Amino acid sequence: MPSAGRKVPPVVVEKERAMVASTISGREVELPAMWNRMFEPRVLTDYGPDGFAAISALPGGESLEWCYGCGKCVAVCPVDMVGDYGPRKIHRKVQAGTQLQAHAGLWLCTTCGNCLRVCPKQVDMTAVMPAVRETALDGAGVPAELQDIFEKTFRYGNALGQAQRRRAQWADRAGVPVRVMAKDPRPVDVLFYVEDYWSFHPRGQDAARAFARVASALGIDWAILGAEERTIGDSQRLAGEKGLFDAMADDVTAVLARYEFARIVTPDPHAFNAMLREYPRRGHTFDVLHYTQLLAPLRGQIRWAKELPLKVTFHDPCYLGRQNGEYDAPRALLEAIPGVELLEMGRCRDNAYCCGGGGGGMWLDSFSGDHMTERLSERRVREAAQTGADVLAVCCPYEVPRFADAAKSTGYEDLRVCDIVELIDEAMAGGAGREGVTGG
Amino acid sequence: MFSDTVVVIGGGPGGLRAAHGIAGTGNRAVLIEQRDYLGGTPVAEKYSGLTPRGEPAAPQIQHLVDSVTADPLTEVRLGTEVVALDGEPGAFTVTLRRAQGSGAEAVGDQTVECGAVVIATGFGHFDPSRATQMYGYFEFPDVITQAELELMLSEHRVLRPSNGQPPERICFVQCVGSRDRQIGNEYCSKVCCGVASKEAIEIRQLLPSSKVFIFYIDMRTYGYWENEIYWPAQEQHHVQYVKGLITEVLPKGDRLLVRGEDTTMGRPMEVLMDLVVLSVGMEPSTGTRDLAKLLGVRQNKYGFIEATGAPLDPVSTNREGVFACGAALGPADLEDTVSSAAGAALKAVGYLRPRPVATAKA
Repeated sequence: MPSAGRKVPPVVVEKERAMVASTISGREVELPAMWNRMFEPRVLTDYGPDGFAAISALPGGESLEWCYGCGKCVAVCPVDMVGDYGPRKIHRKVQAGTQLQAHAGLWLCTTCGNCLRVCPKQVDMTAVMPAVRETALDGAGVPAELQDIFEKTFRYGNALGQAQRRRAQWADRAGVPVRVMAKDPRPVDVLFYVEDYWSFHPRGQDAARAFARVASALGIDWAILGAEERTIGDSQRLAGEKGLFDAMADDVTAVLARYEFARIVTPDPHAFNAMLREYPRRGHTFDVLHYTQLLAPLRGQIRWAKELPLKVTFHDPCYLGRQNGEYDAPRALLEAIPGVELLEMGRCRDNAYCCGGGGGGMWLDSFSGDHMTERLSERRVREAAQTGADVLAVCCPYEVPRFADAAKSTGYEDLRVCDIVELIDEAMAGGAGREGVTGG
Repeated sequence: MFSDTVVVIGGGPGGLRAAHGIAGTGNRAVLIEQRDYLGGTPVAEKYSGLTPRGEPAAPQIQHLVDSVTADPLTEVRLGTEVVALDGEPGAFTVTLRRAQGSGAEAVGDQTVECGAVVIATGFGHFDPSRATQMYGYFEFPDVITQAELELMLSEHRVLRPSNGQPPERICFVQCVGSRDRQIGNEYCSKVCCGVASKEAIEIRQLLPSSKVFIFYIDMRTYGYWENEIYWPAQEQHHVQYVKGLITEVLPKGDRLLVRGEDTTMGRPMEVLMDLVVLSVGMEPSTGTRDLAKLLGVRQNKYGFIEATGAPLDPVSTNREGVFACGAALGPADLEDTVSSAAGAALKAVGYLRPRPVATAKA
C-alpha cells in the first residue's frame, strides 16, 4: 500500500520466534516463523480442565468452557474472515493447554458480539476476553500500542493524549454558540457527552460542529462539559483495563453530580453502552441516548434547504446495534434526508460486520495487522463499495477515521465516509458553509 | 370362555411396568423371570444411579418391584423360563419350566392359560473383546466397561483394578460396539452418551481432584438428556469432551496411553490415562434371541424383536397377541422402556375380552 507517496510492498511479519540451543557449541540460534513451526509438536499430548478453571474463576470468564464445538461463532466472527481466530478455536486451544494470556488471539477479539448472537450455549466472549485481558495486564503481554493508550487515558483523561483544556476547541468554529456547563451552570435538558474522537480528531470535530448546528437549528436546550469531560473509557474496559474504567467512572460521575440535566446524549456508542449497562451496576443511572435517538423523533421538524442526490449505505456500529438493539434511529434519519437513497449491505443490522475498532481494536491496528490478511475496516469498505453507494454513512466516532483510511488503502477513494449528522447538516445548508464557517 | 390373564416374560423394568399396567386395568398378570429375583439388568449389574437424574437405582427399582408384588392381581414366577407357546390369540397356553441354574427345586412343566403375551426380555451389553479397535480389554486391567464402573460407583469407590489406587485421569471411549458396520451393529445404542456423562459426574463427585474425559464421535444426549446430563457434566462438573474417538490403547509405564485423532484440531492425540472406560452398546439379550425363536416372532438383522407396526404401533410383533417392549425391541433407555411397556400392556389386555359387535354408525 502507498505510504508517504511511495509504493511500499506489503511486509509479512512472522510473530512466532523460537530459540534453539546447539548441543555442541551451546550457542542459541533464533528460528523464525516457518522454521520454528516445524519444531512445534504436532501431537496433542494433554487436555484438561485447568485452563478453563483458571478462566472460569474470573468474573465474566465462566462461559468459555461451555462451548460444545458447533462452530457457529467462527462463521460469523469478523476476525476469522480475515485471519484464523474464533471462540470455538479458542475453546479448543485452551482445552489443549494453550495459555490464553500469552496467545495473540487474546487481543484480536473486537468484542463485536456477533458470536454471542449465534451461540446456542451463550458463551460470551465480550465478557470472557476483558476478564482474561485484565489478568494479562501485569505481564509483558499487552501490545505496546495498547499500553500507550492506557497510559494516555490515565494521564490525560482521553485516549488521544490531548490536553484536556482543548476539549471544547472544536466548538470555536461551529458557527453557533455552544454552551459549556462550567461557564453557565444552569439546568439543561441535554448534556452532550462529546467523547474523545469528536472532541479531538479533525474528522470527529467536523461531525461535532455539524451536530452543534443541527441541535441549535432544532432549538434543543443542550450543553457540554468542555474541559471537565473525561472519556468514559468503555473500550479500555473491554481491552482489559477495568480498573482504569472504574477510576474514570468515579471522575465522570463526580463531574456529572455537579450539574442538573434531564438526559445525557452521546455520539459514541461505546460511551452509550457503558452508561446504559455498566454505570447502573455501579449505582449510577442516567437517562442516556445515542444522538441518533435524540434526533430521529425530531426529523419532521428539520427544515431542509436542499436535496442530497446520494446513494448512501449505512454501517451499524456494534455497540449501538447488536449490543444495544438500536437499528432504526440512524436509518430513519438517513431516509428523512431529501434525495438520499439508502442501500443496505449484505451484512447489516444484527449481522453487521465489525469495523475492527471495538474492544481495543481501535488501538491495535499494527498488532492485529500481523495476524490478518486485511483490516476489518478494509473488508467492510469493500462491502460498502459493492452496494454502489456514493457515501458510507456512520454514527460512531471511531468509524470515520477508520473507514476513511480503509477507503484509501483499498483504492475506493471515491467512497465518501461521513457521519450521518454531517449529511443532515449539509442538507440543512449548514454543511455547505462548512469550509466557509469562520471561527466564532 | 375368555382368559383374564396376560403372561409377561421378563422381570426387568419393562416387564414390571407391563405387569403393573395389566393389573391396573383389573386383569391378571403372570410375570415369568428366569433369574431368582426381579429388577432385571439394573439389579443384576448393580446400577449405581439411574440416568438421567442419577437417583440411586436400587430403591427406585425396588419401588417398581413392590408395586407389582404387592398387587393381588399379579403372580410372579421366579427361576422360571418359557418353553412353549400354543393356542390362539385370546386363548394361549404357555408352558413353563424351572430355569437352568435356578436355585429352585426342579418340578415338572407347568402351563398357564392366557389371552396375550408381552415379551420384555431386554438387552445385553456388547462384549468389548469383539471390538475391532485395539482397546486391550482383556489385556489391561485398567480398561473396563461402563457396567464395571457402574458397580464401583454403586459401592462409592472408583479404583484402578491394577493397583487399587484411585485414578487421577479417567476417560470414556464412546460407541464401542455401536455404529459399526464391521461388527454388524450399525445402530446407535442411544443411552451410552448419557450414561457416560452421568457416570462422569459421579466420578467427579467421588474424586473431586480427578480429570475426566469423554472421547466421542457425536454426543447423542437426545431430548432432555442434553440439559439434564450433558450440559451439567460440562459446565458444572468440568468433564472434558473431546471430539474424536480413541483407536488404540497402549501400555506406558503403569499407565495407559490412549491414541486417536482430535478431529476439530486436525491433530493426532496421545494422552495418558489411569482408567479407560469403554462405553459399550446394547445387543439383544440371550433371552430375547432365544425367546424370539421359540415364540416365532420376527427379529431384525441385529437380533432384536421387530415391531412390525412401527413407528405408530411400536409394540406389536408379527404374531398376533404377542407384544414386545423395552430393549427387547432395540436400544432403549428406562423412559422408553416403561413407555413401550405400558403400550404393550394396553395392547395385550385388548385380547382378554370378547369384542363388542361393531354397530353401524348413524
